[in-house]
Amino acid sequence: MSVQAITAQEKRALKSEPMQLFLLVAFLLASLYAVLQGSAYRQAQVDVADSFTAAQEDRNTAWRDRLVAVENGTTAPEEDRWAGLAMDVSFPATISPGPLSDLAHGVSDVKPATSRVSLWRSVDRLFGNYQVQSPIDTAAGAFDLAFVIIFIMPLLMIALSYDVLSEDRELGRLGLLLSQPISVRQLVTARLKVRFGAVAAIVLIASLVGLFAGSAGQDIGTRLPFMGLWLLVAAAYFLLWTATIVWAISLNLKGETTALLLAGLWIVNGLVGPASLSAAAESLYPTPSRLAFLSEAREASAAAYKSQADIMQGMLLDHPDLTAENYSIPEYIRTAFLVTKTVDDSVVPVLSKFDDVQAERRRFLSKLQFAAPSVLTLQAFNLAAGTNLERHIAFEKSVRDFKQTIMESVEGKVLVGERLSLAEYDALPRYNTQNPSVSSVLGSVALPILFLLALSVFLGTIARSNLDKLQNHLRET
Amino acid sequence: MIKAIIWKELLQYRRDGRILAVLFITLALGFAAAFNGWSMVESQQRERQAAVVSDRTTWDNQGKKNPHSAAHFSRYAFQPTSSLSVFDPGLTGFMGSAIWLEAHYRDPATLRSVEDAVEIQRFARLTPAWILQVFAPLLAILLVFAGIAAERERGTLRQVMSSGVPPQHLFVGKAIAALCIIALLAPSVVAAVALAANTHDEVGLPSVGLRLTCIVLAYMLYIGAFTFAAIGISARVAKSKTALVVLVGFWATSVIFVPRFATDVGSALSPAPAAADFEASLSAESSTPFWGGSEEAQQRRANVEAEVLERYGVDKIEDLPINYDGYLLQASEEFANGVFDRLYNELWGAYETQSDIVRLFSVVSPTLALGNISSALAGSDLYAHRHFADSAELFRRDFVKLLNEEMIQNGGQDGYGYMSDNDFWQQNPDFSYTPPSIGAVLSNIWVDILVLLGWAITAFLIASRGVRFSFKQEAMA
Repeated sequence: MSVQAITAQEKRALKSEPMQLFLLVAFLLASLYAVLQGSAYRQAQVDVADSFTAAQEDRNTAWRDRLVAVENGTTAPEEDRWAGLAMDVSFPATISPGPLSDLAHGVSDVKPATSRVSLWRSVDRLFGNYQVQSPIDTAAGAFDLAFVIIFIMPLLMIALSYDVLSEDRELGRLGLLLSQPISVRQLVTARLKVRFGAVAAIVLIASLVGLFAGSAGQDIGTRLPFMGLWLLVAAAYFLLWTATIVWAISLNLKGETTALLLAGLWIVNGLVGPASLSAAAESLYPTPSRLAFLSEAREASAAAYKSQADIMQGMLLDHPDLTAENYSIPEYIRTAFLVTKTVDDSVVPVLSKFDDVQAERRRFLSKLQFAAPSVLTLQAFNLAAGTNLERHIAFEKSVRDFKQTIMESVEGKVLVGERLSLAEYDALPRYNTQNPSVSSVLGSVALPILFLLALSVFLGTIARSNLDKLQNHLRET
Repeated sequence: MIKAIIWKELLQYRRDGRILAVLFITLALGFAAAFNGWSMVESQQRERQAAVVSDRTTWDNQGKKNPHSAAHFSRYAFQPTSSLSVFDPGLTGFMGSAIWLEAHYRDPATLRSVEDAVEIQRFARLTPAWILQVFAPLLAILLVFAGIAAERERGTLRQVMSSGVPPQHLFVGKAIAALCIIALLAPSVVAAVALAANTHDEVGLPSVGLRLTCIVLAYMLYIGAFTFAAIGISARVAKSKTALVVLVGFWATSVIFVPRFATDVGSALSPAPAAADFEASLSAESSTPFWGGSEEAQQRRANVEAEVLERYGVDKIEDLPINYDGYLLQASEEFANGVFDRLYNELWGAYETQSDIVRLFSVVSPTLALGNISSALAGSDLYAHRHFADSAELFRRDFVKLLNEEMIQNGGQDGYGYMSDNDFWQQNPDFSYTPPSIGAVLSNIWVDILVLLGWAITAFLIASRGVRFSFKQEAMA
């Protein structure tokens, strides 16, 4: 029996053997489901961001129109004393859905995606009440393509291949097979090529369907480079599992022992490893108490309210230019500004501590992630998808910084009680969404990909040597 | 005879290094999970205690302030973490732990610990409940997958039959031996319970002992179901290898994949509203129809004015013996409360429909039924959270009313200029919370209990009939 004959037999078996066919069809359906639910998820993300921005822009347009009316004399200034009120300046800030957020939701389902940056809100309240997602859904995690590839794909590969050699050996057919002009290595390779080829084809098809289905109006060309990186990560993970399975097969164990060994590796990789690593990261680098942070913000707010006169006095001493007596605007507006500013000053350092702890955790995990390929792969997928924690933390920080910029720009006008001019309003900065760049993502995922490939080569080399030894052993016996 | 079978099985297990290794690893993970759970719960309880004290102190010392301004600042309700969360934190980290009880608005719970978690925590969380839900069935499978099939493969089943062992004795002996080994995981559960007893639970769950007993019974049913099913499959299939693959496949599907898939389907069929939309609806529907400039809103305020003038038998607001601004504020609260009830019932309804959809999948995944039972009894499920949130909302309404009443009764004609001081704040009550009774909890999970019971009985029947079947097959062979 030649390699071609083995290959042809395997191809026939793929179509005719009910269990193999069932597993592959189930995997295809799971992959397509993941992709389609992902595209609905991404569309919803885009819709939320668009409708939020549109609503805020409408509000800002109305605000600006009132100011225009006062400046061009259509409305008398005393008729609309709120027009151009500096304290009412607000701008929308959104994080754009990651380029492949449909394929790996990452942390995008629990982190805030929009903010109305308003001077009425202290930095701890900038993101509004966004915590209405279903806790059941959030706790279970997403059934996205990343989950399918990291969890289901290896298990399917194990189920399709654990007895690729042992079954023939246990049935006493191996000797007969190897009496043909074919080596053990060729036999294993030919069989796995067909079986794993089918798995790889399904992943590729699902990813390509995802590329188009999940675009949510985005240009495919923009998604394509990220998809390239995604496929590189998926390919490296696939190769690692291929090498691991071939290594396990090359140990020439009983079929059930091979299955147990591989299932054990799958469990350690997908469950024990991530659970232990996350528990370790969170125990070693605990975040400051959110409740203590809340208490601190409230104390600062209450204290600022009580000592508003002192705060105002201090402000005027620092800025004598703000002593203009144009207080047609109610005093509570200045009070609110000063209280909010004081709260900001008090809580920003605490928020920075949260960011620092997260950074320490990430540094810790960036080293230990190599202990569990599933962790490495998940983080690489999230990076390629633009749904990683770091990007979301950076978004939150950039919104806080943006608020600070706006606050500094209009502070004088609020305190003096003067309206903003149209030119001043138009000159205020707007929040710019930061999109991940292909080069930065490539820089971040290159090492994980290289590590997965190196591990694959290492295991593959051992497996090759084992299979050659097995060949010699079988020849001798 | 049963005793002899048990001893023989136990001896075999003791000699199997794989079983000892898995048992040791699971036990070690169980202890780590118990310690991790205790550390998390202990710190949450400590932080809550500090936040409650801080909230009271800040409230008591806010100085002279208009009661309505104070109602905007208001208080917080902090969700207590039950001691049994050491064992099963359920949805605790995904639901928010603090609710702001401000005037005019019903806020969702904020400060979800999942937002501070590392990305990989979404894969798996190291908790005692998770260890038992995921690894105990796996251990059961490992122990008995070869139970009958291997006896048949080795030809020892025939010997057993010839020695007059009835099939039921073989089944019972193997099941008891396997369950004895699984029971060795108990020390980790005992450790979790001991650590739970060592936390500072301020708001004790009612009937903790009974809850704990029910939890233990539920896990026994669950582990029993997997053990019996594994024996049944082992008896039905020709080879132990096939039994292993089928059982590991079933384990992965029902324990890992279906829970994620089910919640995904649940949220697709019963989506929660987008956060921005929900927030906008809350504001727009509770505030604008009362305070806005529309004819409807003006009429609503005019009705309040007419009603209060009639009640006090005066013609003008100025002649009222009460503070009209406070009266109008309270009227707006009562109008808004109806809106909050409607919108939050819709939100909770969406969650609960999701939960019901997920429950349907427990027919193919006993893990879902067990998860519901376990987290409900531990006081960490959706129902527990809703119970807390609804209690907090009732308190918010009473508390805001108390502040408005202070303004109404004592504010006279001062309007918003009326000030209260620390003497008044210090008399205000605290939010006091009593968790639901076990009867209320059980009434929510009776379907899950029935499903789990159904799983255990069905698995028992499969095993019992399977062993009889294997005896018949062997006799005919």
